[in-house]
Amino acid sequence: MSNDSSELGTEEINEYVSVRIGDQLFGAPVNAIREVFTPQSVTSVPRSPSEVAGLLNLRGRIVTAIDARTRLGLPPRSADETGMALGVERGSEIFGLIVDSVGEVLRRPRAELEPVPAHVDASWRSMVTGVHRLEKELLAVLDVSAVIGSAAGHEAA
Amino acid sequence: MDDLISEFLTETAESLDVIDSELVRFENNPDDRAILDNIFRLLHTVKGTCGFLGLPRLEAVAHAGETLLGKFRDGELKVTPPMVTLVLESIDQIKVLLDALENTGVEPAGDDKPLIKRLEDAAMGVAQEPAAVAEPEAPAEPEVPEGFDVDLGRELRPGEVSLADLEAAFQNTEVEGVEPDAPAEEPVAETAAPLGVGDFDPELGREIRPGEVSTAELEAAFASAEPDPGMAPPNIITEDMSAEEALQTAVAELSGNDAAAGGEGGPRVQQTVRVGVDVLEALMTTVSELVLTRNQLMQTVRGIEDDEIKGPLQRLSAVTGELQDGVMKTRMQPIGDAWRKLPRIVRDVSTELGKKIELVMDGNETELDRQVLELIKDPLTHMVRNSADHGLEMPADRVQAGKPEKGTIKLSAYHEGGHIIISIADDGKGLDTKRIAEKAIEKGLTTTEEVSRLTEQQIHRFIFAAGFSTAAKVTNLSGRGVGMDVVRTNIEQIGGVVDVSSHAGRGTHFSIKIPLTLAIVSALIIGCQDQRFAIPQLAVRELVRVGAGSEHSVETLNEARVMRLRDRLMPIVDLHEVLGVGDRLDTEETAAFVVVLDAGGRNVGLVVDNVLDTEEIVVKPLSESLRGVQAYSGATILGDGSVIMILDPNGLAGEIISTMDDEATAEAEATKVSEVQETQRLLLVRAGGEEPKAVPLSLVTRLEEFDPATIERTNDRDVVQYRGRLMPIVPMGAQMQCAEGQRQPVLVFSENHTSIGLAVDEIVDVVEERVDLQMGSDRQGVIGSAIIKGKATDVVDIAWYLDQSRAGDVQRRSSQRRRRLLLVDADAFTRRMIAPLLAAAGYDVTPAGGMHEVQRIAEADDQFDALVGDPAALDRIRAQGYWPDLPTIAVTDWPEDTQAEGLTAVLPRSDRSALIATLDEVSQEEKAA
Repeated sequence: MSNDSSELGTEEINEYVSVRIGDQLFGAPVNAIREVFTPQSVTSVPRSPSEVAGLLNLRGRIVTAIDARTRLGLPPRSADETGMALGVERGSEIFGLIVDSVGEVLRRPRAELEPVPAHVDASWRSMVTGVHRLEKELLAVLDVSAVIGSAAGHEAA
Repeated sequence: MDDLISEFLTETAESLDVIDSELVRFENNPDDRAILDNIFRLLHTVKGTCGFLGLPRLEAVAHAGETLLGKFRDGELKVTPPMVTLVLESIDQIKVLLDALENTGVEPAGDDKPLIKRLEDAAMGVAQEPAAVAEPEAPAEPEVPEGFDVDLGRELRPGEVSLADLEAAFQNTEVEGVEPDAPAEEPVAETAAPLGVGDFDPELGREIRPGEVSTAELEAAFASAEPDPGMAPPNIITEDMSAEEALQTAVAELSGNDAAAGGEGGPRVQQTVRVGVDVLEALMTTVSELVLTRNQLMQTVRGIEDDEIKGPLQRLSAVTGELQDGVMKTRMQPIGDAWRKLPRIVRDVSTELGKKIELVMDGNETELDRQVLELIKDPLTHMVRNSADHGLEMPADRVQAGKPEKGTIKLSAYHEGGHIIISIADDGKGLDTKRIAEKAIEKGLTTTEEVSRLTEQQIHRFIFAAGFSTAAKVTNLSGRGVGMDVVRTNIEQIGGVVDVSSHAGRGTHFSIKIPLTLAIVSALIIGCQDQRFAIPQLAVRELVRVGAGSEHSVETLNEARVMRLRDRLMPIVDLHEVLGVGDRLDTEETAAFVVVLDAGGRNVGLVVDNVLDTEEIVVKPLSESLRGVQAYSGATILGDGSVIMILDPNGLAGEIISTMDDEATAEAEATKVSEVQETQRLLLVRAGGEEPKAVPLSLVTRLEEFDPATIERTNDRDVVQYRGRLMPIVPMGAQMQCAEGQRQPVLVFSENHTSIGLAVDEIVDVVEERVDLQMGSDRQGVIGSAIIKGKATDVVDIAWYLDQSRAGDVQRRSSQRRRRLLLVDADAFTRRMIAPLLAAAGYDVTPAGGMHEVQRIAEADDQFDALVGDPAALDRIRAQGYWPDLPTIAVTDWPEDTQAEGLTAVLPRSDRSALIATLDEVSQEEKAA
């Protein structure tokens, strides 16, 4: 960590994996993501909560795929788009958060993170921790744990 | 926490468990020195270690206990139950202290003077010089002879120890191991003993097991040689062996001590290492992954003819298999570990309740996965406690019943296929079938009608139903509200099944079948709508092919599907429907499979498209987000790398029942609005002729069988004494045909405290069908004919028979004006059945089948005293404003779901006497008004 080339300290910079879900650009904090992979042969689970896209085999481990679109209340992807998955480790489990596409890693100064505007839909606000203004558009910072978490907590409630 | 302390805790806990059970054994065999020595040594070790680790409080208690034991050993005190209880108390106290030590890391403050005082008093009771015994640290205890010497070095040099024991044993027991050469032995052995020790022991120690072989060899060799010097060594070996083995088994039970003991002393090292459970778990997981990868690889190269790959792959496969077996073995533990606490528990029960109980344990060494073992420990303990508490009678009762005073609880375990079968049998009074039935009805688990058709065993199984506990008296021991349902749930959680069989007066037998391991199970892979699912083999009873050209077929009963399998009806559910992945399969058109599942002891058929394969699968726990779905117990990765869900038969059954309930409710809703015919439960009987006759079960109060001898004849009528009253019996056929020695089946109809019996030749069956009366009948006693089970069947007019039997009765309400009723019910069958009954009760009944009929009657301005009918119809009549002031009595199959608002009464359709009573009451009120 000492050889970070940035002139600012590491703690001053936030790194995000930029992902696109629907028309919106989101940023998932790099340290929350275990890996990025292409979800293949997802087994759908009848009677599961709607956001559970299914289960898949990631190198011998069973991963629960959560559809970010469903969580964010967006219309489903068309059938021919598989999307990409962000692997998130929680406890002993791995979840795969399925997004439309994954872009480059973005580095933004922490100071530029702005709070979520108050009039944004409440369900979004519970999953988005802040907003960065990029040149062309806004980057909504995802609380990955909340996106996965309330999916997991759903049943218990 | 200090490593030393934590090791001490584990070791001591094991020792204490052994002491517990050994003490109970000792109590029963007070003369068995070996047991006492073992206990003494164990307790001594505990005490010694406590002293070493600086745990004065523990040491003091252990010391006092040991002192008392010492008195037993020296024969100064007699072994009595109160004494043993006292020692057990000290063990319990040690456990309490250890718990505290484990939680806090330090010995708790306080002292145990009262307990120690009692122990000392007990020890002093006989002993003259207690101080002498109590004071010196045991290792230095001088007066104690050889036996103690041995214990001294808890790193006992085995050879020496056994020798000392040996000599003692030698003098008062006969030689066990060796059959031949009886006469020459004793003197030889004695002379040889001292010399044999040093030479033989180390060698022996190295190869204990093979030792037996060599004995035989030696014997063979010596047989031809001189008897005198030759005999000695083999005898000693054998003798030594048996003592050693005894010692070894004793030691093996506390493997920790064993390792410690063996570790320091020479050649006899027991090759054991303590490994944390988590290490084993991790190893198991890794191996599971390896197995999966292997399977995947095998699948990939299937069909590739390349020897360069095939050879090494075969090898990899074999090695993986061996590794898997090996790792599985490390997880195996003898079931005896789970039983160790039981003798103590049984002893406590017997002392507390004054019962005499013998606990027999068979198959201690049967091994199973430690995870499974942990999970069945509590259920087992609970069941044994139950047997001791509720199953076995008091000694006096047993003697009276002609049984030995001492009750027996027999625990046994053995392997069968990939399962382990555990049985818990007592020779007590057996389950009280009647009470269970009553309770089941009271708890709403079943109905009186249903009970009459259940076998004893089926009734007994109600004890496993949730919230069922039979103990009338809640004792301190069991009956704490957790009953057999908890036991069942625990066992089912690990994919096991539990069943009960019981014979009144002879005892109760529980059997548990559980998989050896939870990690890898054999599963049936089935296909359903392009998806595959796994079902654990353990739950699969059989596979049946249905539809298109198969001899089995799925039938529909009121929208619910059933299948007849070996003359029993089995509920059928369609996996498509349960999972909501498509429409239910049309099993008449399409060939399909029915997987017969064992769900909590009952058979349930699951319709699937296809049965694909069986495969060993590694069960992976479900993700948090899926745990709420009852239908699954886990997920797994198949050989081809795809993930599939594992179906949980019990969860599935739960879903089925709830779907069935939902459907029933939906059905009920539907009937209330539409005027659909419903199914009727019909009792099929034979009376006067071969062809069956049908009686609506809802009208029958009870089914009874009477000894023909008890049927008397008075006043030209057959009567029987029934519940303190005379009940007239009318034959349904021309006359009663009852063979000698057989009992006469009788359908009992009760109404207002009077009962009438209808004698039939045979009760054939109970069916549930839609009754469509095909034709009316002019014959007396027959309402009409219907097709039931594919046969033309007469439907019996119960009312006519009731009238018959009343022929001599005082005419009911003859002086009263006959009251008029309007009976509205969409179901023709109901109208036909109820109308005559009401007529027989003194009412003039006008039946109406639908609103248009009602309208016609209303327009004709007919007047009535009351309206009877289904709630929906009555509602509509009221909405139309017909007969606004009349009492309205609704009869329905779902009285509890019916809005009683605006109705005079809501009654269950089946309760005829309530209907008549209510009508009478309503009429009375009306008259009074």
